[in-house]
Amino acid sequence: MTTTLTAQPQRSRWRVQGYALAAYLLRRLVITAVLLLGVTLVTFILVQLVPGDSMTATLSEAALADPEIVAAYRQRWGLDEPLYVQYFVYLGNLLGGDLGVSQQTGRSVLQDLLTYVPATMEIALPAMALSLVIGVAVGLYAAVRHGRAGDQVVRAGTLLGLSTPPFWLSLLVLYVFFFVLGVSPSGGRLSTYWVPPDQVTGLVSVDALLAGEPAMAWDAVQHAVLPVLVLTVLTVATLVRFVRSAMLEVLDQDYIRAARAKGLPRRTVLASHVLRAGLVPVITVSGLAFAALLSGTVLVEQIFSWPGVGQYAYRAASALDMPAILGVSLFVAVVYTVVNLVVDLLYGLIDPRIRVA
Amino acid sequence: MGVRSSRSRIVAAVATAAALTLTACTAGGSGSGGGGGAATDDDGGSAQGGTLTVSTSFVVNSLDPGQVYEATGALAVHAMYDTLVTFEGSDVSTPVPLLAESWEVNDDATEFTFTLTEDAVFSDGEPVTAEDVVFSINRLHNLQGSPAVTVEGLAASSPEEGVVVVTSEVPNPNVPTILAMPAAGVLNSEQASAEGATDAEDAASADAATDFLNTTSLGSGPYVLDSFDPASEIVLTANPEYWGEAPGYERIVVSNVEAETQKLTMARAEGDQVALDLSGRLLEDLPETLQVSASQDTFYFLTLHQDPAISEITSNPDFVQALRASIDYQGLAALFGEDALPAAGMVPTAFPGALPEDEAQQRDLDAAADFLADSGIEDPTVELMYPAITYRGVDLATIATKIQFDAGEAGIEVVLDPQPIASFLEAQTAGEVPFRFSPQSLNYPVASSLVNNFAPGQASALRSGWTEERASEEMVAAGEAVQAAGDAESQVEAMREWQELLNEQSPFITLAYNSGVVVATETVGGAEYSPAGWQVDLRAVAPQ
Repeated sequence: MTTTLTAQPQRSRWRVQGYALAAYLLRRLVITAVLLLGVTLVTFILVQLVPGDSMTATLSEAALADPEIVAAYRQRWGLDEPLYVQYFVYLGNLLGGDLGVSQQTGRSVLQDLLTYVPATMEIALPAMALSLVIGVAVGLYAAVRHGRAGDQVVRAGTLLGLSTPPFWLSLLVLYVFFFVLGVSPSGGRLSTYWVPPDQVTGLVSVDALLAGEPAMAWDAVQHAVLPVLVLTVLTVATLVRFVRSAMLEVLDQDYIRAARAKGLPRRTVLASHVLRAGLVPVITVSGLAFAALLSGTVLVEQIFSWPGVGQYAYRAASALDMPAILGVSLFVAVVYTVVNLVVDLLYGLIDPRIRVA
Repeated sequence: MGVRSSRSRIVAAVATAAALTLTACTAGGSGSGGGGGAATDDDGGSAQGGTLTVSTSFVVNSLDPGQVYEATGALAVHAMYDTLVTFEGSDVSTPVPLLAESWEVNDDATEFTFTLTEDAVFSDGEPVTAEDVVFSINRLHNLQGSPAVTVEGLAASSPEEGVVVVTSEVPNPNVPTILAMPAAGVLNSEQASAEGATDAEDAASADAATDFLNTTSLGSGPYVLDSFDPASEIVLTANPEYWGEAPGYERIVVSNVEAETQKLTMARAEGDQVALDLSGRLLEDLPETLQVSASQDTFYFLTLHQDPAISEITSNPDFVQALRASIDYQGLAALFGEDALPAAGMVPTAFPGALPEDEAQQRDLDAAADFLADSGIEDPTVELMYPAITYRGVDLATIATKIQFDAGEAGIEVVLDPQPIASFLEAQTAGEVPFRFSPQSLNYPVASSLVNNFAPGQASALRSGWTEERASEEMVAAGEAVQAAGDAESQVEAMREWQELLNEQSPFITLAYNSGVVVATETVGGAEYSPAGWQVDLRAVAPQ
């Protein structure tokens, strides 16, 4: 009987929390839908405002002078319809899961994204993992060594990392590791003598292993190293600066001083109190950094001939390829929305004070 | 103790990450060293000669011959689809047989009769017939894609098996050259029709084969399409059924690589590799072991709008001449690199019809001052619009700045107006830009195609307000003489006269010729730049 009396409130609390979570997720879902609708509208209007259109970027000058060719192009891509009709046709197709056909590649935008997103993931995931490990470790180290030589070195390095243009850094590492040292491939996802494996995950290194080709997988890993290195340097600088700042703030809290005054070992204070409290804001910036990596690291992908979302977006923008631009914008919006949602949920896990309920 | 332990963990984390990175980097050393291409058959790759890597920064919309327009698309399509005739190496003056073993032309150059070889077969083993040729040419016209302009006014028919007759609405001695273009590649009509292709007049809306042709080639060329990723690479493999001499490589990978990366890659290249974008300054300091083949096939020019409503200044003929006389053509050409030349006329030296080098335009500041005085315009200021791009290794802003400097010395103030390429093209198409600068290549390797574009009243001329009414009768007649020429030789002569008049009267100031370039490793044979449109003939490239 006693057991029943104590168990009932526990289940109720979980149920209440479950309902709250569901309501929260539903609310976020609705907000996301409205947000994505806004993204499509704003992107559509912005692309229209840019001087030039896909036709002038695609057809030759001689073809542009031929009314029949111009008419055929406009009809083929629905450009002969009024703008609002084009937009609503796009929205209608979108609801059916159809992102349209890229004027640049001639393939469905969804198919393009399914091809290029895994390529970006292949360098973004390891870069993010490395950045987190290094960023948290170095940021914490700098905070602990606040004002001393170690901290100064880290701050200078961070400044250097933040102010280094990705394009320049990519060329620099390519020059050093490929040209001077000859220890790395120059670009692409795979040496050209390999016939790429069948796409299963889209990650060439993984797909090569699944195809029973460890040598090919190793070749793919080697090709990923330099882009990962550059992305890591660029991301880690942001993280270190943020982690250092967050940890310094926590280290300055009274309860940390109290914990130290109580004689708790420094290791325990750092691990149990400082790191945990300092991680909350770090999660936000990590989420944004990861979203930025996923949504396209244009210049890095360009230099390393890495066929990812960044390169796709760059070429879509160059050709004013409306369906592709809208597709990439939508993808970026989804990535940021999902990452923000995950970040918000992680808050609750790390800091009990920030629970959904 | 606790502090030391914490520090050691942090250090360990950093060290581990660094070690992982370095280990992976170092491991790359055993690879081919960039872009592959090197023979490494021990680890599963092909033997030397197995794979050729072609690096180029590309945008390719389609590998359907009826739609292909960009240079890289032409490169690949030319390797996969045979045409009636073709060109060898860099010579684009003499078409040579391919699917047609011989051809005849009537007296007024309006009817061309091609006799097909009996040997040719498609990659599925089926013979190439006259029906396939007729289908492919008529489809190209009716699809109304970008390359349709090349066959405007042409129609194909077959009076008997093995014979194709192509008629032209107007005399046109260049029909064989036009039919050598990759866009005129011959499709297996039966298979193409099964995939939705049509050569009917409504092909622009009814044809549905382009998607299929982006994944599977239906030609009779030495290579077939293995895969096509519009963003990253085109992979061709040898056609085992090829009816001619076996191709040089088992596999050709055309990789999308930025020019800067191409330079680094070629500088350390091993095995069979080719780069197509190393022009201008990018050619400097390359290893001497590399082969370089170049041909001047592009011209750079200024356009001044002739409509006074658009600009009173640029439409003043004396102002145009003043500006023409102010340019330091030698100095400007030097900015493009060693392979560039000051322009003599509009036709680059790669093509028959170019003016001799010793007729290259000269700077004459005294003449510029006289022309400016005659124009009646005091202290003119004009805005120069140009695309803010690097083209063939040269930043166009550098050239525009040189123009600004030269004109400034003649008392003409030029204000630079760089634009993103899409904006530039839009403004150019709208035809309301007073003063612009851009590069130009030929649609197909026939100099007279420029007359179709730049003569008064033609498409490009109209975009600069140069109507027949605003041109002299002499200028109009010179253009008509080019178009009326019944054979290539008289057309070449007429082209020269047309260009000389162009230099005196037109709103176009040609500045310099620049080269297309092929850079290849020493193991690659036949890597010669072709101004025919396909840059390098992958059919002719083989290990040496």
